[in-house]
Amino acid sequence: MKKPDKPFAFRGKYIFLVVLVLYGLFFLVNSESALLALQKSSAVLTKILPIFVVVILFTATLNYFIKPKQIARHLGHKSGTKGWFWALAAGVISHGPMYAWYPLLDDLRSHGMKDEYIVVFFASRAIKIPLLPIMIDYFGLTFTIVLSFYMLLGALIQGLCMQILTPVNGK
Amino acid sequence: MVKRTSGTDNMTKLHTQKSQQNGPPQKPSFLKVLQKSSLSFLAMAPLLLGTIGLVGLFQVLVTPKMLASLFRGNPLFDTLIGTLSGAVAVGNPIVSYLIGGELLNHGISLYAVSAFLLSWITLGFTQLPAEVEVFGGRFTLYRNILAFIFAMITAVLTTLTVQVLS
Repeated sequence: MKKPDKPFAFRGKYIFLVVLVLYGLFFLVNSESALLALQKSSAVLTKILPIFVVVILFTATLNYFIKPKQIARHLGHKSGTKGWFWALAAGVISHGPMYAWYPLLDDLRSHGMKDEYIVVFFASRAIKIPLLPIMIDYFGLTFTIVLSFYMLLGALIQGLCMQILTPVNGK
Repeated sequence: MVKRTSGTDNMTKLHTQKSQQNGPPQKPSFLKVLQKSSLSFLAMAPLLLGTIGLVGLFQVLVTPKMLASLFRGNPLFDTLIGTLSGAVAVGNPIVSYLIGGELLNHGISLYAVSAFLLSWITLGFTQLPAEVEVFGGRFTLYRNILAFIFAMITAVLTTLTVQVLS
């Protein structure tokens, strides 16, 4: 049976309100710095808007072409080895700040994506392919290769640790 | 030979007839799916805007100079400081490379700089409230503890391996 759609409700209203209050207080204490913080936030928002568009399009494309059952098969409890590598590859490829990917991951999780894969995704995001040349320039080729290798290995081990910490149906 | 129909078959027939009356079960159009995805994203707008607001505040309140002043020159202590300061800091990863490069030039150990670079991306105080809201407290706690521990382990292993290789 098809699950009924969740009614529309804003999430994080209180977080937003707390941040508004913080800005209000900051304006009272130091209006110049508060304005600067607001400008920096606006700059961040402008910069990541294209990523939000990509995330929305990606979520829609996934939901259109892939059924929840298929998502569960590739990223769910019976996905096997391939699920780990999907999560690892997705983390390495993903761009932008971590929180920009929360809506997509939330959607995939509701379709059966395992928590350990989310951990692998977040951990492997430490590798930024477009920034590798800059990293090599700053820290050298050996450092970059060794760090990237350990980051990938660490991401998988973190996923395994999460699997141990949160057994199936243990949520 | 007369084919016997079971109750389930009858139910299926009934369902098929009903479907035919209402038209075949159609796959929703891409536009409809896109609309649904946009709405789910819109529902998270206060959460994302709140997080971005916190990022702006932290960028003003926690300066790179302030972070650099925390290091003391003790590799073990600095690795811990590197992990913590990377978690507090916000911004583009390129900024972490710039600060990391500067720290190395000022004699800060590679252990600390590696931990700093790692935690800059994998940990984030500003996104903690949003992470709790989306994934739950337990998941956030476990993930951040794991990321914190592994940032330090990876930093130590990387530095030791680089030392051996060079």
